[in-house]
Amino acid sequence: MSGTDEPLPSVPDDPRREALDAMVDREALDPRDELEKTTYRTDLGIAMAEDARRVGRGELSSEAYWQKYDRAAAAEFGDDYRETPNPAVDRAEQTIDDEIAESLSCSVGSMDGVAESLEGVAAEESEGEGDEKWGMVIDLQKCVGCDSCTVACKAENRTPPGVTYNVVMEEEHGEYPDVTRTNVPRPCMQCDNPPCVQVCPVSATYKMENGVVNVDYDRCIGCRYCMIACPYGARYFDFGENYDDEVDGAGEIQSPEYGVDRGPRTDGESPVGNVRKCSFCTHRLNRGEEPACVETCIGDARNAGDLNDPDSEVSKLADSSRAFQLKEAEGTDPNVYYLK
Amino acid sequence: MSTITDITERYDPGFRSETVRYAWYGLLAVLLLVGGWATWRRLTVGMASTNLSSVTPWGAWVAFYIYFVGLSAGAFLVSTLANVFEVEGFEQIDRDALFAAVVSMVVALLFVWVDLGRMDRMYYPFVWRQPTSALSWEVHAYVAYVAVLVTELYFSMRLDLARVAARARGWRATLCRLLTLGRTSTSAASGRTDRRWLKRTGLVGIPLAIFMVHGGTGVLFAVAKARPYWNSGLFPIIFVVSAVVSGTALVTVLYVVRTKLIAGDAVDRDLLDRLGQLLAAFVVTDAALTAIEALIAINSLHPHELETWLVVLFGEMSWSFWWFMVGFGWVFPLVVLSKRSWRRSPFPAASAGLFVVVGIVAVRFNIVVPPQILPVMEGLPHGSYVPSTVEWLTSLGIVAVGLLLYSLGAEILPLKPLESTPHGGDDT
Ligand code: SF4
Ligand code: SF4
Repeated sequence: MSGTDEPLPSVPDDPRREALDAMVDREALDPRDELEKTTYRTDLGIAMAEDARRVGRGELSSEAYWQKYDRAAAAEFGDDYRETPNPAVDRAEQTIDDEIAESLSCSVGSMDGVAESLEGVAAEESEGEGDEKWGMVIDLQKCVGCDSCTVACKAENRTPPGVTYNVVMEEEHGEYPDVTRTNVPRPCMQCDNPPCVQVCPVSATYKMENGVVNVDYDRCIGCRYCMIACPYGARYFDFGENYDDEVDGAGEIQSPEYGVDRGPRTDGESPVGNVRKCSFCTHRLNRGEEPACVETCIGDARNAGDLNDPDSEVSKLADSSRAFQLKEAEGTDPNVYYLK
Repeated sequence: MSTITDITERYDPGFRSETVRYAWYGLLAVLLLVGGWATWRRLTVGMASTNLSSVTPWGAWVAFYIYFVGLSAGAFLVSTLANVFEVEGFEQIDRDALFAAVVSMVVALLFVWVDLGRMDRMYYPFVWRQPTSALSWEVHAYVAYVAVLVTELYFSMRLDLARVAARARGWRATLCRLLTLGRTSTSAASGRTDRRWLKRTGLVGIPLAIFMVHGGTGVLFAVAKARPYWNSGLFPIIFVVSAVVSGTALVTVLYVVRTKLIAGDAVDRDLLDRLGQLLAAFVVTDAALTAIEALIAINSLHPHELETWLVVLFGEMSWSFWWFMVGFGWVFPLVVLSKRSWRRSPFPAASAGLFVVVGIVAVRFNIVVPPQILPVMEGLPHGSYVPSTVEWLTSLGIVAVGLLLYSLGAEILPLKPLESTPHGGDDT
C-alpha cells in the first residue's frame, strides 16, 4: 500500500481546506459547557483532554499521561475507573481481550480478533496475488442494450471525446416482422495472443501477469500500428480533445489508469497523443473492486473474475456450453467470453 | 583528358538559366512557407488538426511515407542497373538515382515523424524494441539502407569530387574536398577501388532494399490479419513492383530535367528508350499483379475484402483509383511508351514518367485508406476519411523539402559524370 501521507490518486488538494477546517471548529461544542452539565470536575476533564491530544500528537508518552492522572482519575471516577480496562496501559499491543470485550458488549469482538481476521484476509489475498488471470463473461441474454456500461466506463476512466473503452454494438437479424436484436458489449478482449502487442515497435503495450494488456503511456510513440492490428476495434487514439465545454473542470483529474496518477489532463502530455483502451479497470481490480461496467450493469449481464480459479463464477460461466469468443478464427484467444 | 580539365575549371553544374533558377526557388519558397504554416498548426493543435479518427487511424501521411520509401527503393534498384549490372548507358543516371533515393528516404522519414502522436519520442524505437513487430525491424532497416545509399553515392562520386577539388576554385571546390573524406587521389587505381566498393555495397543493398526496406514495408501491412485486404502474400510483392515502377519513372524525369535545365547536353535517346521499355514492362507487371490480387480477393467472397474493393472502385475517393492509379499510373504511360519515337523523345518520355510518379501516389492512398473505412466488426462505426487541409499542406511542405534538397544537390554536386566514358581515371 502507498503511504498514508500521500494524497490519494484522483483526490485533488482542495484549496478550500482551511475554510473547511474553520467550519469544523465553528461547529465544535464548547468543552467547558459540555462538561459542566456532568457531575464530574470540569477542570480535570479539560486538562485530561488537552493532554490526551498531546499524547495523540506524540508530544507526551501515554505512561507519563497516566502517571499524571491515574490518582486524580481514580479519586474522581471511583469504581467505574478501576473496572474499565485501559488498553493503552494494560496491554502492550493496546488491545483488550475477549472476555472484557464481551463484558462491554463490543459488537465487533475484541480488537485482537478483528486484527487477526484482517490478517487472515490479507494473507488470503496475497496468496492469490500474482496468479490471477482476469477475465470477463458477458451474458447476451441478459444485456438489454442500455449502454450503462459505456457511460460508467466513461465516468470511471474519464475518457475524452472520441475515446470509448467500451461500446455496445447492436446487431439486427432477420427481416421485418421477424426481427431480433442482439446487443454485444465490446470492451478490450485482453487477448491471450494479442496482435496489438505483437506489432508495437517499442513494446509500449504488453501483457501483464494478471492477463490484462497494458499500454505504457510514457513509452507509446503514438504510431497507431496497434489500432491497425486489433481485430476488435478496441483501441482509440487520444486526439487531445476535451469535454471542457460540456463539463466544468472536466480535465482537472484523470483516472489513475494502470495505477498511475497523472494529475490534471494537460495538452500535449500523455495520454494525449497515445493510444488508449480498456484496462479492465486495473486500478479498481487492484483495490479489490470490480470493473465499473460490471458493477453498474443493470441486467447483471457482466461478470468479472479470475479465470485461473476453476471455482470462480467466471470460470464456470466461460466453461458453459453457451460460451463463445468473438472472432475465434483470429487466433487471439480473448479473455472476454460471451454467453449465447 | 583535356575535356575533363575544361569542364572542371568551369565547374558550375547549376541551372543554366537564372530565370528558371529564381522561378524554381521562388516556387519552393512559397511551398515551404505554406507547409511551414501547416506544420506549425500540426504542432500546436496536435493530431486533432487531421481528419484521422480511431476508425481510420492512418491517412495521408502514412500513404506518402510508403510512397517515398517506394520511390527510394525503386530509384536505388535502377541505380544498381548501372553500378552492379553495368547496363550500358545507365552510368549517366547512377548518381541521380542514388541521390534521389537518399532524398526520398529523408522525405519518407519526415512523413513518419509528423505522423507520430508523440513526435518528441521519435527515437524510442532505437531504445526499446519488439522482435515480433515489423515496424520495429523496419526502422532499423531504414537506417542501414540510408547508410548503404550514402556509401554508394560516395563511391560513385568520389573520383569526380576529387577532380573538382583539385582543379576548380572557390567554395564548391572546398566543399567537394570535404566530401571526398580525404581520399583525394584521381588515379585510375583509386577509381577502380571506388567501383569495386560501389559494386559490393550495391550487392548488399539489393536484398536490403527489396526484402527489408520496401518488401518489409509491405509486410508491415500484410501481417495485419485484422485487415483482410492487406493480409495476403502477394501484397509485399506488389509493393516492391510498384516501387520499381515509381523509381524508374522518377529517374527518367530527373534525367531529362537535369540534362535540359542543368547540364544542357543532348539527351541520350538510347538511354531514354531503355528506361521507357523498362518502365512499360514494370507497369504491365504491376497492373497484372494488382488484377490477380483483386481477383483472389473477390473470389474469396470474404465480405470485408469485397466491400473494401467496392470502396476502392466506387467509394468516396474512387476518382483516385480511376483517374490517378489506372489513368495516370497505367494507361497514359503505356500509351506514350508504346510508340518508339515518343519513348525516345525527352518531352513525352518525361511526361510519361511524371504521370506515373503522380499516379503511384494514388496507388499508395488506395493501399492505406480503403481497408480502414469499413469497421473491423459489424456494429462499430464506419470510417470516412479525406485528408484535412493541414494534412495536405504539411505534405506539400515536406515534398518541397525534398525538392529543395534535390535541387541544391543537383546544383552543387557532380551528379552528372564529368567524363563520358565511365570507367577511367585521369592517367588512363
Ligand atoms: S482486443 Fe484488441 S486491444 Fe484488446 S488485447 Fe485484443 S488485440 Fe489488443
Ligand atoms: S501507438 Fe503506441 S502502443 Fe500502439 S503500437 Fe504505436 S507505440 Fe505501441
